[in-house]
Amino acid sequence: MMASGESKTFGFGRPRLGAQQALGLLLLVYFALVLGWPISSVIASGFQTAKGSWTLAYLSLILRDPLLLRGLLKAFAISLATTFTAVAIALPLAVLSVKFEFRAKRWLSAMTLLPMVLPPFVGALGMRMLLSRFGPLTLLIDSDSALGIDWLGQLRTLGVVVTEALGLYPIVLLNLQASLANLDPDGERAARNLGASKWQLFRRITLPLLRPGLFAGSTLVLIWSFTELGTPLMFQVHDVAPVQLYMRMSEIDSPLPHALVTVMLFASVLLYALGRLLLGRSNAAQATKAVRVSVPQTLQGARALAAALPFVVVVMLSLLPHVAVVLTSLSKTGAWYHSILPRQFTTVHYEKALQDPLIMPSWTAQHQSFGAIANSILYASAATLFGSAIALVAAFLIVRSKLRWRSLIDTLSMMPLAVPGLVLAFGYLSISVHFKHRWGAQTPAFLDAQQWPVGLLIVAYAARRLPYVVRSAVAGLEQTPVVLEHAAQNLGSGKARTWLKVTLPLLTAHLLAGALLAFTFALLEVSDSLLLAQTSEFYPITKAIWELSQRPGDGAYVASALGTWAMLLLGSSLLAVGALLNRKLGTLFRA
Amino acid sequence: MRVGRYSFLAIFALLLFTPFLVRAWVGAPTSDAPPADLELRVITPHTLDIRRAFEAAFSDWHRRRFGRSVKIVYLIPQGTTDMVRYLRDAYGAEGVFSGAPAPDEQRVHVGIDVVWGGGDVTFEREIKAYLKPVNLPAGVLQAALPEPDLAGVALYDAKTPQAPRWVGVALSSFGIAYNPDLFKRLNRPAPQTWSDLTDPSLSGLLALADPMRSGSAAVAYMIVVQRAMADAEAAYHARLEASGETSNPQQLQSALAQGYHAGMSLLVRIAANARYFTESGSRPCDDVGQGDAAAAMAIDFYARVLAEELGDERVRYIAPAGASALTPDPVAVLFGTLGEREVLANRFVEFLLSADGQRLWNLRADASPYLKRSLRRLPIRRDVYRDRSQWADDTDPFASASGFNLRQEWMSSFRDSRDVWSAAWIENHDALRDAYTTILELSDAGLREQLIAKLSDLPIELTEILSYKQKRDELEKQGKEDSRLFQANQRAAWARRFREHFQEIGALAHSAMDTQGAVP
Repeated sequence: MMASGESKTFGFGRPRLGAQQALGLLLLVYFALVLGWPISSVIASGFQTAKGSWTLAYLSLILRDPLLLRGLLKAFAISLATTFTAVAIALPLAVLSVKFEFRAKRWLSAMTLLPMVLPPFVGALGMRMLLSRFGPLTLLIDSDSALGIDWLGQLRTLGVVVTEALGLYPIVLLNLQASLANLDPDGERAARNLGASKWQLFRRITLPLLRPGLFAGSTLVLIWSFTELGTPLMFQVHDVAPVQLYMRMSEIDSPLPHALVTVMLFASVLLYALGRLLLGRSNAAQATKAVRVSVPQTLQGARALAAALPFVVVVMLSLLPHVAVVLTSLSKTGAWYHSILPRQFTTVHYEKALQDPLIMPSWTAQHQSFGAIANSILYASAATLFGSAIALVAAFLIVRSKLRWRSLIDTLSMMPLAVPGLVLAFGYLSISVHFKHRWGAQTPAFLDAQQWPVGLLIVAYAARRLPYVVRSAVAGLEQTPVVLEHAAQNLGSGKARTWLKVTLPLLTAHLLAGALLAFTFALLEVSDSLLLAQTSEFYPITKAIWELSQRPGDGAYVASALGTWAMLLLGSSLLAVGALLNRKLGTLFRA
Repeated sequence: MRVGRYSFLAIFALLLFTPFLVRAWVGAPTSDAPPADLELRVITPHTLDIRRAFEAAFSDWHRRRFGRSVKIVYLIPQGTTDMVRYLRDAYGAEGVFSGAPAPDEQRVHVGIDVVWGGGDVTFEREIKAYLKPVNLPAGVLQAALPEPDLAGVALYDAKTPQAPRWVGVALSSFGIAYNPDLFKRLNRPAPQTWSDLTDPSLSGLLALADPMRSGSAAVAYMIVVQRAMADAEAAYHARLEASGETSNPQQLQSALAQGYHAGMSLLVRIAANARYFTESGSRPCDDVGQGDAAAAMAIDFYARVLAEELGDERVRYIAPAGASALTPDPVAVLFGTLGEREVLANRFVEFLLSADGQRLWNLRADASPYLKRSLRRLPIRRDVYRDRSQWADDTDPFASASGFNLRQEWMSSFRDSRDVWSAAWIENHDALRDAYTTILELSDAGLREQLIAKLSDLPIELTEILSYKQKRDELEKQGKEDSRLFQANQRAAWARRFREHFQEIGALAHSAMDTQGAVP
């Protein structure tokens, strides 16, 4: 594998800087349009008076408001605690999975990725059933308690940290596994020969070399949990910055939340810098590729059991919400009350979901719509195709170009990971409103979220999920020896032909993997879907699930039925991506 | 190896299309009826069940009367607050503002024809500038709503009754949803009125919604405050009658201010029992049904629908006698709706007011082809209550209305009271709960009651809120900016003041705990 800087040594022909610069500039324009514009339109409102002049009054109000400051600090504390917990879960699992071989390891390792397939909302619905006052957890712990245990009401902050850590540890795990697999066993052997104990070896040799993987995974978890909205909302923790932002965003006529967005974005960048400072990200360390692969030590009997135990515990804990979602979807409405399992089972919620005109195609006098599933497939496919083309150009410039500012392209393409989904969604909405202000009824349909949100949804999905496709394409290009391209060119092939006939086929698996992941996550995208799709004929699946979940009585159950399907879909997508990348899934989840 | 590599892709594709395969296998419902040829665009926070039932029923009604069916395109905001923001954005772009002269209507069209649901306060105070007079055939409004009000609450726009800009089409009542099973476990009688929710044994067992996000929750809080104001007013008049004095406006105002303060104190005690304040107006009822909360302040129909689904051992609804408001849920035609669209919009209003449209709110599911389950809401037409056969609820709100209802003249503090509530117990819930739970642990019952009284004595008076409102109104007239900043600053200042208050009482409770100890 070649690091991005190595192409210089090969001197890939005479790079046509003009064409590269033009492509780079086009990309910058794209980023400015799909990221810069929406973000700045949200931010600007926080620094503008109603008459359009600039003011710092709202920023100063936030910095003087103890509640908002406390919200920021609490979000920071939760993200730190979540990251440490996620690392504490992932580190032993990573070491065990790379250094040792034991029975069922492959299955157990695969199952540790399952927390990532929990769809939004529905996971929360499952957790609410599981953690309800008289729910299964209470009955297992204290079945005699007259008033049950109010898990969701009492252990709120702790609940947020544990739930987020159990959902996000796979990102750290994937990155650590990749780093560990790349370690040269000779270094460790040399340390052992010099008398280092196992602990010294781990602390002085292994851990420092793991830093790039640790940085890549934990920074993502740090920022993700700092801006996470769904979990604190589920536990009703309202005094954290993302929830304060969400709550105030929907209040009328206040620029305060827009100023708060700026503070949160700034804090996200600080967190990224903090991660970089603490854990570093040297290309040299990332490029450390083992000359020899370390052979895992085979464990038998009690030692194998001891190695498998942490996997079993973590998998069991992290799969509880999934199990709860499946059980909810199969429970008769209201039948999971004062019982460990639902008292009565039914498939009626699946039937309802499949008959609902909101979900499935419907051609009656009232409804002529494709339904939310078909809509989502359409939007996500278009977004993935569009995003893949952008990602291919970005990856080419990042890995193969001589552009001095290629790291800027790298950073910008990763930026959607650091920007809360809600901010981007509000940004797109405010752009749409801005055009309606200016052009009124003459506004082109693709800019009018009310008339035809499809265009904006596709652009938003593509922008939000770009990092996965870019990371995948970059990884693929880095692993594609540039000498093959040179050989083709030496044999008279033109640059375009070389790309089409040599590079692109070699990239197929990586591109497909990134695209598949982007497609699946786009299919289940929340913020953009909730805000931009305003009429039911354009609903994507997440908005339809949200809408159904609001229905009194059976809403949560029908939503869980759809959630079960979404989990299976996400699960198969991750398995397919894993197979395509030969288990190098970690490359896609790096900050 | 290649096969394995791509086999997961095949599984993924299969799963992706499974719903369509299953649907094709079991057969999709189809209809031979031609697609609807008219389209009405309606913005509404109403639930999915309500939207579906009325769309189909209106289309059929329209086809029977005018020969053409109608498709309703609903714009669905995430609640009333979102709907108001949406309309403000849309009309602001067209130069239509509250208080400003309306521009040429021909040039305004925001792409929506009708606004439906969200409560009379929203229509009267938040979006009235965007509404145009409803134009119904002669006699329709008079036949549907012969009396313009119900116990003092206007059933349609009272300011221009000849050409109302909004018309109520259903009634909402607010009350208490509770879980009988949990009350039995608590060994407490079922709640009957708002003050029952201050019972300390309900600490951490109340589910309440955030009044900034849920319009229905805000109205429920206002009912508690206005009931206390009405009591104070009645007490004042009783004193006058006993002493033979004549009424004095200043004294009356002072009595009302005391009532407002008493109402706020009651709300603080209720808020202190809350396990949290949810962002969704419907979640409190769900939590009661699931047994996570013992009781909730709730809008009637949501609790009734849930009770029907889960059984009345899990959820019951009670409207506190003499302290539950009945308010109209309106519909209106939006400014800029002209020509054929306006005709259709007015027909929709006419249908909602018709006997057929009214009965749909409360018919049993088996009594109407448009219902999958009963909507359990109260019609606004008094005459349809005469025949309640096939209805889901055999209640007549007109017969049970006890004289108390929300008073419009006291609603002037409504918008600003929301800011106070938010600052007091949404943003400071942790400080409030800390003080309250420490007090409840004290062994001395007298001290407990004393400290709870102090805690609920919120350091704010009605006069301060009214002068805040006056200042805000003035600033709003001068220019929007200062008003926004003033509002944000004031809210932050209130939040700080209330936090200090709760922390002060909390400190007293903690030091009493150190000296006297906890309940054994």
